[in-house]
Formats: sequence, C-alpha cells, structure tokens
Amino acid sequence: MTLVELQQVEKTYHLGMSRIPALRDVNLTLDRGAFAAVWGPSGSGKSTLCNLVGTLDVPTGGRVIIAGQDVSRLGDDARADFRNRTLGFIFQTFNLIPVLSALENVMLPLQIPGTPGVQARPAAAGWLERLGLGTLLDHRPDQLSGGQRQRVAIARALVADPSLVVADEPTANLDSDTALEIVNLLRDINRDQGTTFLISTHDERLLGRVDRRILLRDGRIVEDTQMHSPGKGAP
Amino acid sequence: MSTLFRIAMRNLLKNRRRSLTAVMAIAMGYAAVNVFGGFTRYINSNLRDSFIYNQGNGHLSIFREGFLEKGLLDPGKYLLTKSETDSLLATLRARPEVFLATPQLFITGIVSNGAASTIFIGAGRVPSDADAMRQRAPGMLGRLTPFEGRALRDDTPAGVGLSEGLAGLLDLKVGDGAIAVAPTIDGQINALDAEVLQTFEAAVDLLNDKLMYVPLQFARDLFATQRADRIIVMLEHTSDTEPLRQELEAAFHARGQPFELRTWEDLSQLYRKVRQMFDIIFLFLFIIVLVISVMSVVNTVNMAVMERIREIGTLRALGMRQTRIVLLFALESAALGVVGSLVGAGSTLMVWFGVNLAEPTWVPPIITARIPLEIYLVPEYLIGAFFFLLALAMTSATFPARRAARQEIVDALGHV
Repeated sequence: MTLVELQQVEKTYHLGMSRIPALRDVNLTLDRGAFAAVWGPSGSGKSTLCNLVGTLDVPTGGRVIIAGQDVSRLGDDARADFRNRTLGFIFQTFNLIPVLSALENVMLPLQIPGTPGVQARPAAAGWLERLGLGTLLDHRPDQLSGGQRQRVAIARALVADPSLVVADEPTANLDSDTALEIVNLLRDINRDQGTTFLISTHDERLLGRVDRRILLRDGRIVEDTQMHSPGKGAP
Repeated sequence: MSTLFRIAMRNLLKNRRRSLTAVMAIAMGYAAVNVFGGFTRYINSNLRDSFIYNQGNGHLSIFREGFLEKGLLDPGKYLLTKSETDSLLATLRARPEVFLATPQLFITGIVSNGAASTIFIGAGRVPSDADAMRQRAPGMLGRLTPFEGRALRDDTPAGVGLSEGLAGLLDLKVGDGAIAVAPTIDGQINALDAEVLQTFEAAVDLLNDKLMYVPLQFARDLFATQRADRIIVMLEHTSDTEPLRQELEAAFHARGQPFELRTWEDLSQLYRKVRQMFDIIFLFLFIIVLVISVMSVVNTVNMAVMERIREIGTLRALGMRQTRIVLLFALESAALGVVGSLVGAGSTLMVWFGVNLAEPTWVPPIITARIPLEIYLVPEYLIGAFFFLLALAMTSATFPARRAARQEIVDALGHV
C-alpha cells in the first residue's frame, strides 16, 4: 500500500542569478513498512529528496503525496501539523534541544500538539527504556555520548507513532560500532513496528541492511533496486 | 505552554550573564521612571497643597463676572455685595463637601514707615480662616509656621504681615508701626495705622517686596467698603473640585447669577508651568528608558535567536507552528521584563527607604520653608511601568523572533 508518492517532482534553488536544479522529474513511490535508502554522491539531491518527503521544503514543480494527501499544497501551519502527526525525523547532528533532558526531548513531539505531560511522560520514558536509556532519562544532551544522543533522537522520532520516519545521514556522526548499533536498531524497529523509513546515507553498512536502494545522480533517480521484501530485510 | 515556558526559562538561565544585563537595563529603567515619577508627584503635590492651603487660595474661588479682567480698573463695579457674599457663604457652608468658605478682599496701595513709602499688594483674609486652611495642609506643610512673629488675629484688625522684602525696604520689624494708604472704592484717599505682627517670605520672588497679609476688616476699612472681591472655598477632598465647579456654574447660570468660578489649577499659573516642565522632563526620561530597554531586549533576543537557529529549525521540523516559536521568545522576553521590573521595584523601594532614612531637606519653589525632600511611591506608576515594560519586552522580542520563525526550515537546520 503506497504511503509516499512523488509525481514529476522538481526542485530548483536560486543562487544569485544562477538556477541550480537539485531534483529533476523525480517519480517515486514508497509503500508502508518500507525500509528504503536514498544514496548517491554529494550534491546528487539526497537531502533535497528527504526534505521534500519530510515536508520541510516544498517542490518547485510536481506533487508530493503522503498518506493520500498532497502536502505540497498545504499552508505552513497545516504542514507543521501534518509533520507532527505523520512524520518523524532523525538528523545527522541529532538536533536535540540542549536545555531539555533526554526524557523532555522525547516528550516534545507529543507536547507540541498539547498532549498533557502525564500522558507524554510514560510514553517517552517507555521508548527511552526500550532503546536502553532508561537510566539516563534526566540527562541533558551534553551529558550523553553521540550514540546515546542518536538513540534519544530515534526515540523522539518514534514516540508519536509516525507513519514515516525520514532519517538524514543518521550514522554519519557516529563511530563504527555505534553506527552499526543504530543501523540494527532502525532495522529492528522497522521489522517490529512496521514503521516506514526513508534514509539518506553514504554508509555501506546501512545500505547493506535496507530493503530498497534508490540511487540519485544529478537530481535524477538513476537506479531503484528492491533488495528484500519490505519488513523481511537482511538480518 | 509548559514546554515552551520550560525551554524559555532554561535558555535564560543558560545565558545568565546576557540575561542579567537585560534584566539590569529593564530594572534601571523601571527604577528611573518610578523614582523620578515619585519625585515629580511629590513636587506637584507640594506645589498644589502650598497654593491651596498655605497661601490660602482654597480649591475654588468665586468672583463677580468680569472681575479678573476689569476688576482693577473699576473695583466698585466688580466686588461682591455684602448680601451676595452672605448668600454665597450660607449656600456653600451648607454643602457637605465644603470644609470652609471665606471671603477675601485684595487691595493695593502705599505703605509707609513715616519716612519712606512703597507700593504694596494686600491680601485681606479672615485670619482664623487662613489659619484653619493652612493647618489643614497634609503632611509637613500643615505643621509649618510660614512666618516670623505672631499670627494675625480676627480681633486685631490693625495687625498685618509684611513680606520680608517689603519689610526690608521700609526697615520695618515685628512690633513696628506703619501706615497704609490706598484709594477707597469711591476714589477718596484713605489711610490706616498698622502694626507689623509678622514677616514672611512670599512664595513668588516678584511679590516679596510688595505683599502684605492683612485682616479682611483692615482691607475693608482701607477700601471703605464691607464688600469682598472673592469667596474662597476649601473642600474636604481635592477630587471634589471639578464636580463642584460644574455644579455651581450650572446653578449660577440657571439662576442668572453673575458669578464666575476658578479652580485652584486655573489660578495657579506657576503650578501649571512647573507641572508642564516636569511632565516634559519625565517624557524625555521615559523615552530614554524606552530606547535603552528596547535595545537591550532586542539585543538579547537577537543573540538568542542567532544562536538557536538550528533549535528553531528542529522545533519547526517536529511540527511547532511559527506562532509558537514567536511565543517562545516572547516568553523569554516577558520573563526578562517581569524579573527586571521586580528588581526595579526593589531598587525603587531601596531608594525610597534610603531617602526616608537620610531625611534630606530643601526649599522647593513657592514653598517658603525648608521641608523634607521625599520620593512618593506612586501605585499607578509602579503598576503601569510593570505592565508597560512587560509589553515592551514582549513586543521587542516579536520582530527578531518572527524573522527567525519564518526562515526556511531547511536553511535553519543547516545553520552553523
């Protein structure tokens, strides 16, 4: 069942008088439960694609449809609400709020639409415990290691039970062992929860674990390879 | 809201030095406005009370219509008759808001020590009424004895008071005799013996070599009349002045009575000028405080925004609306405003306490004695400045916060 559909999507940036095409005529569908990676050389348009699917940006042309809704036509507030309800994000640099504890960071996506703390707290704590951070709930980001921070970010991405998690280079700032842990963690969540992942990455270990690889070059999809059946990827 | 509040407060605490600078700027602004405002209120109150009570001008003065414009040229035509005076006094004294109503007659003439003479302006007042008005002055003013010598008395019509300059010109001292010469209302020359009972400093420098306080009967005898040129009305409460003026004016008009009313504020030109001057100074101070506070808050919020562009991008990515981002920074500024105002209120109280403890004294304009310098705590300034600075801080934060909130999320997330 299709969750994400990109129809003839174009994205062009303007730098002074120059026009820089980042994506050209991209057509893509992503089914629910997919664990897909977008990969390619620097400047190929990976991040731009993730930003458009994540509704962080709007296309210059074409349509982005997520869960049946054309998000490219939504206003700013409606897109914000849509992101909060439907999407989770994992960033390369973790992007935790420095003044909040691990628990408070994970509670954020629930509290933004007004979920009371008494409901948000156990949900957030549950995810942190599940990701092995049960003893670090009150730690601030600067008291956590890189791997721990990324786990907090993953818990934050998942706490509101999103349909789709967009991860932009989630292992780029981690050492090898930690990166492998994170890759396995994402894979397990995909398998156990059925959460759909779209991951932008260079990481070969991550590429080896995904169900589908979408290769971008010069803003175009040049290769789209189904590696395994969704949800039954490599161990 | 609690999440925004938590983020806002923790960011303020994280940048303690910067927050402290903004808090101190707001606090100093708050204290400056309240201390100067309190001093201005003290000055205005004393000027008002001195004019109303100490100088015996009361809250309201009733004249025959046209007296203030043409009364000097033809006093006989514009004085209140005895029956008018009695009728007005009876009406006024029956009113509950009136503390005292008394007739007065101002005269001009020449005063002599037997060898030299000079012109004088005499305020003819009922001595016991003038004393009652002076003693009713609030605070220190009511306890002042604004003359040297003895008080004038109702039963000593020849006993007069001379302003110090006038006494100096004629080399007259307390206990000396003098002769007052003036034309009667019929144009005849009249002369009366007087005894100097007191000397005083006139509230206005220009009058200090001309002013005499004389008993009403002395003025009447010199002018050869039993009439008065005004009725002075002192009220229980100053706030009753305007309502009573309007009511009396309407009553005079309805009855066709040819009287006109002036409030103490109408007659006290000096009060109005001093008040205007302080209002302008206060306005300048207020603008300076405004600029400093706005710049301080804008600078603080600008720096906070610049440092937290990525954080803003993250919050937006997680689904926070632009308005909530603006609210986040507005909350931070509001906290600066609240804490700054509270520190400012504390500073104002300390200055107030310090001034009360030190008890400095001075001679303010139109008050002729050394009195304590005070700073009043004015509730409307204390509360008004709090809400004003709070609103100002929040408004100042809005512009940089809106700019940051409107930034493209992708650019914000990529901000280094």
